[in-house]
Formats: sequence, C-alpha cells, structure tokens
Amino acid sequence: MAVNEPNLQPREASNSARNRRRVLPMVVLALVFVAGGVIITQALSTAVDYYCNVDEVGLRSGCDEGRRLRLQGTVGEDSVVVTTSATLFDIEFNGAVVQVEYEGEPGGIFRECLPVVVHGVFDAQSSVFLGDRVEVKHSEEYVAVNDDRLSEAESAACTPAT
Amino acid sequence: MTTITPTTKSSHRGTGTTATRVIGLLATVMCAWLVVFGLILSPADRDQGDAVRIMYVHVPSVWLAYLAFIVTAAGSAIHLFGRRHSLQADRVAGASAEIGVVFMGVTLVSGMLWGRITWGVYWQWDARLTTTALLFVSYIGYLAVRNLDGTREQLARRSAIVGLLAVLEIPLVHWSVKLWRSLHQEATVLGTDLDVSLDGLMLFSLFVGVVAFTLVFVWLLLHRARTMAVVDLAAQRRLDDALIARRREGGN
Repeated sequence: MAVNEPNLQPREASNSARNRRRVLPMVVLALVFVAGGVIITQALSTAVDYYCNVDEVGLRSGCDEGRRLRLQGTVGEDSVVVTTSATLFDIEFNGAVVQVEYEGEPGGIFRECLPVVVHGVFDAQSSVFLGDRVEVKHSEEYVAVNDDRLSEAESAACTPAT
Repeated sequence: MTTITPTTKSSHRGTGTTATRVIGLLATVMCAWLVVFGLILSPADRDQGDAVRIMYVHVPSVWLAYLAFIVTAAGSAIHLFGRRHSLQADRVAGASAEIGVVFMGVTLVSGMLWGRITWGVYWQWDARLTTTALLFVSYIGYLAVRNLDGTREQLARRSAIVGLLAVLEIPLVHWSVKLWRSLHQEATVLGTDLDVSLDGLMLFSLFVGVVAFTLVFVWLLLHRARTMAVVDLAAQRRLDDALIARRREGGN
C-alpha cells in the first residue's frame, strides 16, 4: 500500500449498540417462526374436532357420535332451561335436533333462535351432547334494533338454519 | 446506488408539506365524524347491541391493512423488477408494511373484544382468525428482515422478496370463511353475491370509517416514507464524511 493512499479496510465496530441492532432483528425473526409454528399447531389441533352441522351427525365422514365434535345449529325456540349447574337447550339444523347439556352459563349473546357452535361429546347412553364450550355464531346480517323490519327479521331469525 | 438529493431549502423542517397538512386535517375531521356516527348516530344491532360499533373500527382497519400490504407488494415489485431498482419504492413498501402491521394489530384486538361480547370467547382457532394471525406474524417477520444486517440494497432486495410472498396470504385470509367452516361470519359488504346485509346508517358509518382510516393511512405513509428517506440520506452523508476522513488520513 502506498503511503498516501487512504486505508479503506473496514474498522472494528466500537460500540455495542451496533451489535444490538444486528441481534435484535434475528431474535424477532426467530420469535416470528416460533409464533407461526404455534399458530399452525394450535389451529391443526383444534381442527381435529370435526366441525359438523346437527343434521350431519352419523352421516358425514368424521361426524361420528363417538368422537369429540364442534356441533353447529340454531338454539331451538323455548328450549333453553337453566338449572343451578347447567344450561339445557336444543340445537337444530335442517330439521335435525340435538339436545345439549352445557355445564355453566353460555357467554356472548347466547339466546334462542341464534346459531351456536358447541364443543363436546355425545353421552353414549342418553345421546345428549355434553358441551364444554359454547360459541355464539353471528350471521353476516346486521339489523338496527329499532328498524321497521324488526318483527320480520325476528321471525326469520327463529327459522332453523338450513 | 440511488442517491438522495437533499432539499435546497434550508428553512424546510420536518416531513410535512401543504398536501400532508390538508390530508391530516381531512383525516382529523373524518375521525371526528366517525366518532359521532359510530358512537351516537348509528343504531345498535338487534342481536349484538352496542357491540356492533366495534365494527366501525374493525372492518376499516382490516381493509386498510390489506391495502397497506398490497402497497408493500407493489413497492417491492417496482424495486425488484424495475430497471432502476428504486430505493424510493422500497421505502414506500417498508413504510406501508409498518402501518399495515399497526392496522392489523388494531383488527386483531378489536376483533377479540367483539368476539368476547358476541361469541363469548376472545379467540378461537378457526380458519379466519388463524390465517389473520399468520398474516400479522408474517409482516412482523417482513419488518425484521428489513432490519437485518447488510447493505441498503441487500436489505431492500431481501425484504422485497418477502413482501411479494407475504401478500399471497391475503386472498387466503379473505376467502377462508368460504373455504372452511368458520365461527367468523362471511363478508357483509364484499361478499361474492354483492348483497349488502347492513342497515343504511350502519353502512354509512362504516363508509365514514373507511374514508377516515384511508386518509390516516395516506398521511402516515407520506410522513414515514419521507422519514425513511431522511434516514437514508443521513446514512449516505455519514459514509461520505467517513470517506473524506479516510482520504485526509491518507494525505489526499
């Protein structure tokens, strides 16, 4: 190297801040991969419980009575009975009806005539579906509470899902 | 390497211009309208009651997150396939992804609150929620890639590839409720049958929300992209200064 030429060799990083800037994105990226793995694993483990409509029980592949299911149907009109330890109700879909026993009080906007998804298993003796989780499924329809179409919508809401 | 020409106006401070100030003012006005329509003028829902008002934040934020990620993909494509490999396009892509991640975070949080009130649970590993969470995590990964070690051009190229791959998740998220059985309802406005099942004033409030969030997005995008340009300019100046210093050391 000639005496007057500048030394353009990279110099050693002198502060730890630069090292932190290098390491942090790698840590975040590693966490992203872990989070992605957890999300996919959780989704797949939930998907093991078949998502069945009431009328598919015993008919559709995977919707067998002997296994854990996610059962979808509309809560039957005048079917909800609340006891001290459980909530009993019917869920209907396309003319088929299943009795559900849920230990506790369902959350959300649970009430008659609304579609729900119940996680649980069938009782082998009574054929009652023993639910351990109830989720209220809201449709894509939004109706104002004071809408003129309210009575029409209410009657439609009680029509079992098909 | 694309160079950045510094402005000749020494009195020019910040990243604001007349255009951004107008957009910012309009965004503020529309956000105020959104509060009025969303919380006061629009009616409660027959089934959800007042929880329906969360929709005026939830739906616009997810649409804007989609838009932001599409802008990221467009900027990535321009950088990657353009003849000049524009760093300005890369900056727009990066800025848009940052804003998109914020909007997607708002979507997830507002959705969880709505879910707790309506479904009875904060979270369910169903198709829509799972794919949305994956999309969110993917773009956090994109932002991490943007900050890895490497030259400015290397970072732009790597992140452009990730940005073009990650955007492919959006159709999967949007149509997940059609492809699989889901607790999440199907699209109310952007459904395939084009039938809007939404009360008139609710629809208008939603429209106000979309306009307000779009203006906020554009305002943030312009400022953030310009901030990134200033950061690039500062880095370039540091490099220039370092070269001058080295030449002085060498006696040239």
